[in-house]
Amino acid sequence: MRDVRRRAGGGPSAGLGKGARALLLAAACLAMAAPFLWMAATSLMGQLEVFSSGRLLPETALWSNYPDALTAQPFARYFLNSLLFAAVVVAGQVATATTAGYAFARLEFPGRDRVFMLFLATMMVPVVIVLIPRFLMIDALGWIDSYQGLVSTELVSVWGIFLMRQYFRTVPRELEDAARVDGAGPLRIFWNVALPLAKPAVATLALFAFIDAWKNFLWPLLVTRSMEMRVVEVGIAAFHSTYEINWPYQMAAGVVAVLPIALLFLFTQRYFVRGIQLEGIR
Amino acid sequence: MRGGDGGGRGAGRGRGSGPSPGALRAAATAATALGLALILGVAAGTVSHGRHDNATHVARMAAALWELPAGGDAAVTAFLEGRATIGPDEKAGPGAHAYRAGTLEPAAWIAVAPEEPGPGWPLIPTTLALLGLSLMSAWAFARRRFPPPSRYPTLPALPATLLLAATAVASTSWAHRALGDLSAGRAVHGTRAIEVALAHGADPGHAPRVAGLPWATTEGLASPDELWTLPREVAEAVAAAPPSAPAYTVTVGGATYHVARTAFPTPTSPAPPIPQDPTATEPDAANPANHLHLVLLGYEDTRSPAIPLAAAAAAPALATILLLFLLPLSARPRALRRTLTAWGFLSPAAALLLLFTFGPLLFSLWISLHEWHLVDPVHPFTGLANYGALLLDGEWWSAIRNTAVFTLHVPFAMAVALGLALLTRRSRRAVRWARLALFLPGITSVVAIAVVWKWLLDDGYGLVNRALEGVGLGSVAWLTSPDTALVTLMAISVWMVVGYQMVVFQAGLAAIPRDWYDAARVDGAGPLQRFRHITLPGLRHTLFFVLVTSVIGSFQVFGLVYVMTEGGPLGSTDVAVYHIYREAWEFLRVGNAAAMSWVLFAVVFVATWLHFRLLERRWAHA
Repeated sequence: MRDVRRRAGGGPSAGLGKGARALLLAAACLAMAAPFLWMAATSLMGQLEVFSSGRLLPETALWSNYPDALTAQPFARYFLNSLLFAAVVVAGQVATATTAGYAFARLEFPGRDRVFMLFLATMMVPVVIVLIPRFLMIDALGWIDSYQGLVSTELVSVWGIFLMRQYFRTVPRELEDAARVDGAGPLRIFWNVALPLAKPAVATLALFAFIDAWKNFLWPLLVTRSMEMRVVEVGIAAFHSTYEINWPYQMAAGVVAVLPIALLFLFTQRYFVRGIQLEGIR
Repeated sequence: MRGGDGGGRGAGRGRGSGPSPGALRAAATAATALGLALILGVAAGTVSHGRHDNATHVARMAAALWELPAGGDAAVTAFLEGRATIGPDEKAGPGAHAYRAGTLEPAAWIAVAPEEPGPGWPLIPTTLALLGLSLMSAWAFARRRFPPPSRYPTLPALPATLLLAATAVASTSWAHRALGDLSAGRAVHGTRAIEVALAHGADPGHAPRVAGLPWATTEGLASPDELWTLPREVAEAVAAAPPSAPAYTVTVGGATYHVARTAFPTPTSPAPPIPQDPTATEPDAANPANHLHLVLLGYEDTRSPAIPLAAAAAAPALATILLLFLLPLSARPRALRRTLTAWGFLSPAAALLLLFTFGPLLFSLWISLHEWHLVDPVHPFTGLANYGALLLDGEWWSAIRNTAVFTLHVPFAMAVALGLALLTRRSRRAVRWARLALFLPGITSVVAIAVVWKWLLDDGYGLVNRALEGVGLGSVAWLTSPDTALVTLMAISVWMVVGYQMVVFQAGLAAIPRDWYDAARVDGAGPLQRFRHITLPGLRHTLFFVLVTSVIGSFQVFGLVYVMTEGGPLGSTDVAVYHIYREAWEFLRVGNAAAMSWVLFAVVFVATWLHFRLLERRWAHA
């Protein structure tokens, strides 16, 4: 497979030399990474230095910006909230998507495909439509500014259900049939046979759920009010409006927000790529 | 009819016992009559109780400020608290929405605790009656339609019964709450106040301010636009009323507002509203201009109980439908077991989707048909008025236009991403290292990205403008000029999405068979021809997928706008979701906002449909 792809040249880039292509790619990477590099550089500059000097790198690295910025607002708490939020969302989405995906892929019941299409159709609906009613519902429950209000609407992902269904359909049935012959019930088959086989898809789903939860801005902005309940995204937005021109502090906070995702991506990128490709090919 | 009776008898025979169909029918009829009588009784009691002498309410208006800042206007607080009875659930009162959402300052709203608890409604008996009614009628009807087999599976009936019971209890208790809202104890839902400075010609800053109360000058009081915190018609009525009118009422839909003006001396304790103002003097307590003037609006829910009643009546109907769905299956125990198993697996996802997606969709449609103000407990039904108003709302259409223009970044991003995918096609090792740089913008914190770009594009000190000036090109007002701001956001968005699109294209490219290229090469096709005749057609499904999902996504852009431009300058980057956000959580007009979100959905739907219509068919037959 790999050597096939290596030889399968096509398109205009095939006309370019290897060196030219590497150069182009490097330029593209630099363009993509430049804002992050500038963010890191600014985060180490002095508050006035950013306005006066035209330097690209700080004169002396001002590491104290980090502790100062991160204690100016309770960023530790923001991180804890984000982590908790993301963890619960991941657990919830994995639980709902694996069970529902298994039902759609393996179990038979009247109206199965119609229900599945109905689920899929919600992917086209802009989230903003349901925000107002969700907000009113969460408010009626008295859950505004609470963890349960933050997570409860995010526990199911139709994309995840779709992903798991597609994956379960590719897993051979023989093992499940064998378990059934041995007298295992549906729950046992799901838990002991199907789910372990679906680990790669679960990893992909968990990863995407984590990233989406970490990036989620609008919903936490609506349902949290107190500083203690903010997630990182909302915290940085609030920090930005408070420390409007203190760019080094803001950049320090930004670096700290970007870093966990960058590290996560570094170690898990094959799951990322697989998830995107599963989604893209259908 | 006859057949059903036969079936009923058959079941009776098979089990050796069981009620006869005649008795069942009689029981169902009795339960129906009882349920209807109870519903009507509750309604009559509610309506007769709910009519109160409103004038006394206004006179005894009990106001409570929620949270005055510590050490604030102590005397004002004392005065207001002297009038207040703060109920145990006061924090859940009207205004709590906005208060907790952080869109209003604390103490912006005055709430009134219920004067007395409303009479306890016979919740349990009515619920039981409705439950019985639903079960009986459904049972009787189902037996007639679906003759049961001789051996009736009893176990699967248990979840069905539990489901029915839960449905009936939930809907009746909701109906009761809604009815209770109309009852005596809650006739007046709350009071809202506007602080008015009567200081003609004086610096309005001299008038004492109660922290966070919506505020107007006497001139402002005559302009509905200044009173945007009130429902439109109320604001118009207040603005139209002569200043001398002491008390009057405004009825909008199901809400009656009792408007009264009151003035009282303000504390002499210093409460400078603008501390920086050096000319500020101590307020003169004798000057009436320095008295605290409040326009108090006690509002009362005078809706008819039709909707709660309909909901209560819908409970048995819903239960019947559920039973009808389950009963035919119960004739085939294996199929039933399979179905129940499958729904057992589905239920976590299905319940959450029902609760937080499908339910809210209908609820949103319902909201959009009302004049629904986030802090008002009553929402008069206005039909399509919100949509009609939207048609003429220039700002909304400009937001839609901005969104559509913003979406034009998608083809650019796709072109760049396709180029990158082709570039990295043959060197997988290079890709692995390039991926982090290419991907990070798409997966990391949008807010952090927005902040760093704001800094990069800063007019005077941003790196980009400094570089431009350095090479003598002159600086560009990236985000501060209405001509460029939207284009800037589009460029940033391209930067954000190309990494993701590139990976999708790589997958699509890998799926094109190598033989095609070899054959083309044998035929003497050059790189451009191979691209045109093999790569593009081979990628058309991928291209279509990326196009559709990216367009849907870009219609929902929010974070960038929220952090970088706040819709400005001059509304040039006011995109649809940001506009809806402001309408709902800043101006609190959720009815309007819901209508807008449906219009946005329609636009997205039409755009997607057009894509399918115009592109997919053509590409599929290319």
